[in-house]
Amino acid sequence: MEAEFVKAPIEVYRYDPGTDRAPRYDRFELELAPHTPVLTALLKIRSDLDPSLTMRYSCRSSICGSCAMVINSKSRLACQTPVGPELERHGRIVIDPMRNMPVLRDLVVEMGGFWGNYRKLEPHLVENPDRPLPEGKTSSMSPEEVDRFKETPRCIACGACYSACPAVEHDAEFPGPMSLAKLYRFVVDPRDGAHRERLLKIQTGGLWLCMRCHLCTEACPKDVRPSERIRDLKEMAIRLQGATEHGSKHAIGFKDNIREKGVLNEFKLVRQTYNSLEMLAQVPQGLKIRRKKPELTQTPKAIEGLAEVEKLYQILDDEPGDSP
Amino acid sequence: MHRHDVVVVGAGLAGQRAALAAVEAGRDVAIVSKLHPLRSHSGAAQGGINAAVGAEDSVDTHIYDTVKGSDYLGDQDAIEFFCREAGPTVVEMEHFGTIFSRGSDGNLARRPFGGQGFPRTIYAADRTGLALLQALYERLGTESFTLYEEWDLTRIVVQDRRVQGIVAFDRRHGDFAGIAAKSVVVATGPAGRIYGRTTNAHSCTGDGIAAAYHAGAQLKDMEFVQFHPTALLESGILITEGARGEGGILKNVGGERFMSRYAPHVLDLASRDVVSRAIWTEVKEGRGFPGGYVHLELMHLGRERIESRLQEICDFCRNFAGVDPVTEPIPIMPGQHYMMGGIGTNIRGETNIAGLFAAGEAACVSIHGANRLGGNSLLETLVFGKQAGNAAAAYSDRAAPTDISEEVVEGESRAVHAMTDRKEGEEPQHLRTEMQATMDELVGIYRQPQELLEAQRRIGALKLRFASVRVVDRSSVYNINLTDALETGHMIDLAEVIVAGAIARTESRGAHARVDFPKRDDANWMKHTLARFTPDGPELSYAPVAFTRWEPKERVY
Repeated sequence: MEAEFVKAPIEVYRYDPGTDRAPRYDRFELELAPHTPVLTALLKIRSDLDPSLTMRYSCRSSICGSCAMVINSKSRLACQTPVGPELERHGRIVIDPMRNMPVLRDLVVEMGGFWGNYRKLEPHLVENPDRPLPEGKTSSMSPEEVDRFKETPRCIACGACYSACPAVEHDAEFPGPMSLAKLYRFVVDPRDGAHRERLLKIQTGGLWLCMRCHLCTEACPKDVRPSERIRDLKEMAIRLQGATEHGSKHAIGFKDNIREKGVLNEFKLVRQTYNSLEMLAQVPQGLKIRRKKPELTQTPKAIEGLAEVEKLYQILDDEPGDSP
Repeated sequence: MHRHDVVVVGAGLAGQRAALAAVEAGRDVAIVSKLHPLRSHSGAAQGGINAAVGAEDSVDTHIYDTVKGSDYLGDQDAIEFFCREAGPTVVEMEHFGTIFSRGSDGNLARRPFGGQGFPRTIYAADRTGLALLQALYERLGTESFTLYEEWDLTRIVVQDRRVQGIVAFDRRHGDFAGIAAKSVVVATGPAGRIYGRTTNAHSCTGDGIAAAYHAGAQLKDMEFVQFHPTALLESGILITEGARGEGGILKNVGGERFMSRYAPHVLDLASRDVVSRAIWTEVKEGRGFPGGYVHLELMHLGRERIESRLQEICDFCRNFAGVDPVTEPIPIMPGQHYMMGGIGTNIRGETNIAGLFAAGEAACVSIHGANRLGGNSLLETLVFGKQAGNAAAAYSDRAAPTDISEEVVEGESRAVHAMTDRKEGEEPQHLRTEMQATMDELVGIYRQPQELLEAQRRIGALKLRFASVRVVDRSSVYNINLTDALETGHMIDLAEVIVAGAIARTESRGAHARVDFPKRDDANWMKHTLARFTPDGPELSYAPVAFTRWEPKERVY
């Protein structure tokens, strides 16, 4: 099992906000077997080269969630990322702290906001009056009910998804992919009695700020697929109470809109999303678009083969979806 | 200074369960932990939690299996209590929201585990610890308590044989504080990192055990160290016993299912000490693969079963060993896994110091005796976490207020900063590496008297060298180099106790296998080892084992 060693240039973000004027990168040269995890490389640096490098780590087997960081621009677990493929692809390994969280020092970030967003969604079982927990016995759950958890029980709350998420970066209201995946876990739990309240609350609690870029799903080291669970939550929310605010109105509007002509009517989509008063606020933006891309403000013509589009819609209409 | 009724140190399953019990009893509770609760090593437990709930199974059989597994060193009254609590504990955790694996009938699934007569290990795929930790954290989150997150414990303060509280510092800015408490519960987990080859997390450094030892608490049965048979060859990452519970088998270089020679009745599912010794012997006698290891084969179970029930194991093997268990055998060797010993307690979690309690792997009740059965440790954290929390709450209700003086806090701060102020001295990580190599080489699965004496000499020397340890990092913010030093000091102290107990115990029992005394010696050694701190090293004494219904017999699997 002896592997050949390769040269591994590693550049690590260093910053102590209390004493350093600006962040810097320290460069270390190691000789490592290609399958060596980045975490092991960092521990080697700490042990042999610079014990002052600080970071979080514990289990080294991708179950405690401590060592999430940005490795060659991707948010992931250091213990689960071997150096070989990184060196092949990038020639070096650049390590930064997670994004969307303030740096405490070096690779350690302040995760208070991350945990706070999670706790805000009240992640605990609320007893279901329609299905009370049996006294002195465990409850029963059908295989179908168990399947609905999908991969959410695997979540280790490492924060990689939160670090990768542009919606978190842009909007303080967005609870983050992990929190929503956790919320989903409660919404589908047959033992939980707060399905409706959870969905109603999240409809206006940031659910629709997710822009479906799927970077969270790409980042997740445990294949929890948060973006797909966010999609499920959106579907369930709409089924529960229809389109009630911008995000869901936009989604429903989008769907109905394309059905008409087979192509998006941008101008109409604005009306489908906003009420008259809110539309006023969109006027400056509308004028700008009219000046730069006048074709977008005109009603498009129906495409050829509109009937084919309609067939697709009918298939989708017949498809049974998840309901809470 | 901070002040609470009950301070729980450690936020894994035992610590959180203790905190929940104390909060429910109406106390002002704080948890102090060097890790966020969800980062605790409890979350790494894979295989499951035992409860004799099957129709064919019985609590008595669970008790008997645990007594036999302990090689008759477990206290039978404690084991009886423990096994009776198993059913209600699992029900409670299920009601808290734990997502367990289930059978097609909708009820909790069970798998067979080593050394047990029935499939009684309830599980959540191969991440049972994580499932329990999440549910308990979620449940505890509905209560009101104070969390000192990422604080390092430096001292448990005891005056006139009564707990006063603790001294700790906030890793985020390095400030020391006294946290006065009427009751302190130590639930800081094991010290597995005393060994280099261990399944334990880097954080398992026995901080609370060492602090309790220094404060005058008795440590019990520390020489009993469990080696898990199946740790990944290079990294030492745990491959759950559940892999053999699902039907995995061990093979040597000749392709022989060698366990048939060591445990003809139950084969690969013999007790852990038995399987670890068998693997060790195979390799030692030249029947291992080149480089010294054996194979764990799962391939015959089929892709579907492996990937659904052993999902994390698949990931571990693929990510950390470059092996696909669906198509290839897994290279494994035993690794340090569990400490049967710990802070001596009774079944209420009480120690020999008033106001000091302990639970979980940091404690030794003792229910595991000389060898723990798989599936009993998760159960222990919850059963005895609750016990300790209740006892700590009750004690704090009748105890007088406590206090920690500024001088004590400043004294701690000075002692710790002496390490960062030093211009010369050895770095903690190097002392740690030497300690680990010593323990791996000389205090392993089989123990030789000369090797134990050599280990004692080396650990003694490390202890002296540690007195002038130097912490290079001088920052006050998140200085884990300082944490390295504190942890290393704790582990050297505990290594000394392990070695002393192992030298003294001239018999083989459970996980303690002396080559010069290969037999169990009930006439002389049916007793617990107790170790008390003195500046010159541990002072050993012995205490009787509690018996109820089971007479000692020879262990055959």
